[in-house]
Amino acid sequence: MQALNRHIHPGWLIIAPLMLMVVALYLGPILNILWLSVTDPEPGFSNYAKLTEGDALIRIVWTTVRICIITTLFSVIFGYSIAYAMVHCHQRQKTYMLTLLLVSFWISILVRTFAWLMLLGRKGLVNVTLEDIGLIAEPVAFMRNELGVLIGMVHYMIPYAVLPLLVSMQSIDQRVMDASRNLGASGSQTFWRVYLPMTMPGLVASTLLVFILSLGFYVTPAVLGGGKVLMVAEYISVQLLVTLKWGTAAMLAAIMLIGVLVMLWIMSRFMKLSTVFGGAAR
Amino acid sequence: MHDKQFKKEMLAESAQAFRAGRMDRRTFLALCGASGVAMNAVLAGDAQAAADHVVMWNWGGQSEECHGSAIGEAFTAKTGKGLKFDTSGPLEGKIKEMVDSGNVTADVADADLFNAVSLGPTGHLEPIDYSVVSKEKTLPGYALEYGVSIILYGYAFVYDTEAYGDNPPQNWADFFDTEKFPGTRALYKWANGSLEAALMADGVAGSDLYPLDMDRALNKIQSIKDDSLYWGSGSEVHSMVVNNEVSMAIIWQNRGRNIENDTDGQYKLVNNQAMAMPGAYIVPKGNPAGAAVMEFIATAQDIPAQLALLDCLGMTPSNPEAFGQIPEDQQPYAITSAMNIDKIVYNDPEWWGKNGGDAVNAFLEAIS
Repeated sequence: MQALNRHIHPGWLIIAPLMLMVVALYLGPILNILWLSVTDPEPGFSNYAKLTEGDALIRIVWTTVRICIITTLFSVIFGYSIAYAMVHCHQRQKTYMLTLLLVSFWISILVRTFAWLMLLGRKGLVNVTLEDIGLIAEPVAFMRNELGVLIGMVHYMIPYAVLPLLVSMQSIDQRVMDASRNLGASGSQTFWRVYLPMTMPGLVASTLLVFILSLGFYVTPAVLGGGKVLMVAEYISVQLLVTLKWGTAAMLAAIMLIGVLVMLWIMSRFMKLSTVFGGAAR
Repeated sequence: MHDKQFKKEMLAESAQAFRAGRMDRRTFLALCGASGVAMNAVLAGDAQAAADHVVMWNWGGQSEECHGSAIGEAFTAKTGKGLKFDTSGPLEGKIKEMVDSGNVTADVADADLFNAVSLGPTGHLEPIDYSVVSKEKTLPGYALEYGVSIILYGYAFVYDTEAYGDNPPQNWADFFDTEKFPGTRALYKWANGSLEAALMADGVAGSDLYPLDMDRALNKIQSIKDDSLYWGSGSEVHSMVVNNEVSMAIIWQNRGRNIENDTDGQYKLVNNQAMAMPGAYIVPKGNPAGAAVMEFIATAQDIPAQLALLDCLGMTPSNPEAFGQIPEDQQPYAITSAMNIDKIVYNDPEWWGKNGGDAVNAFLEAIS
């Protein structure tokens, strides 16, 4: 027992049931999907070969990646400004801001998506108002296109971008900035060379979080894209439910999974991922 | 969730065995006890009753209520069995998954007839028993081995009378003519109906549609792509029309009346060249109620049920005997009414069952 303890920390025994459950309920189905992608409809890599036949699948993957990159960029920029403002304003205002942020965080994605149609649709509040005051003659096409999808997704993702950044900014010792100013750096120098690098783990965390969550978006593109913005998640669901091409669906799911893992791996080359997810930088 | 399902089924099965005398009372109660319901006699009774109803798998909403009043009541009066609902929507993938998992909980799915063609030969459906169900009480060609058409729905279109009031669009050719009729169109995202409409607009006769010339259809669809939106559900196209986002939209004809009402007549339904789609009842392989479900399907074919479905859901009868009895105020909205029947075309479930998957993908690739 002593010998065993030396090699395996007894803590593992305590979490072993949970680990087994995760393996059985999470890894099992994932492996099943990977398996399906090389066995349905026939064994081999015919599903993966579909990526090279014709440009349709590649185009769907590319649309997804492009929309996710733009969404991530805007969500993180807005999220950074919001988090920065929250950390540096008075406690009262901070409480208000946090409340607003969390309220929007908790509202269902469907409600938030349809709310945009009410606001920015062809007969939405904004278009009608602009038309009434004579600024525009024809309604602006905010919705039912890629712009609509981006607006909806960025809006949905901002809370996810803010929260990791907020945690990271709150843990920064303000005296470091004072020291920087004291040593003669200007305000912007202090921001770019001291503050920003110190918030980098939070920045990476929110970027990763937003990008990975965006990859799986289904409702927003389906509703706000007017049917023309086809992202991978929706395509997978069609292949599963309507066209019964489960192999293609599994292949696309596998590609997404591998893509995310590769991204994490590349990230880990540049920084300690444990700091991103809240661990100590060792 | 699955656990609960398992228990429910085990109880239902043992209840059947108990009733049939294959299991004694003590074992049955022990089983109830093992699954935690022994102390609750009501639940045990419920499990016993599980063998006494059929479960209809549909899309919920209004159709749950309407199927209950239109067919369920007559079915209960005839057989003493009840009708229950699973409203999660019987998409082909879900039926396949349910049957493959061996965990079949639905008796009859309110689906499309082409599902019977694609899922039947792969062993996912029970054949229809035509000694109980009648082949005469549906249109010729719509009583197939693994499914029978109970109602028809149609792909028709609505147009904005404020935009085209003086010279309204008459047919699919007008629908696809964005020069003569400028404005945004809404088409069905899963290809069905949209492809046929495009071919008819391009000059193919309604009787020569199948096999569909995919390239020709997709070209026509792409020709108005910049002026098109695509909808995935009835409520989505409804909101597109009501919010004035489009000036013409392909819709399910049974929505026509609601749309005309909701827009105070601003949008008008055109049934000319509407495509009749056979909505069918199909039975997942190994359904819990067994052969009793055929009685239910037969009840749905009866004229009162057919007319009640039309009244409640706007689904058009498929039983030719009911055509003549469509009430006056429903005539414009029922595609098999005397007013419309000569103007419509018929969907070919065989073609869609065999080629539907590829057609949907080709369509999605063309519009995205």
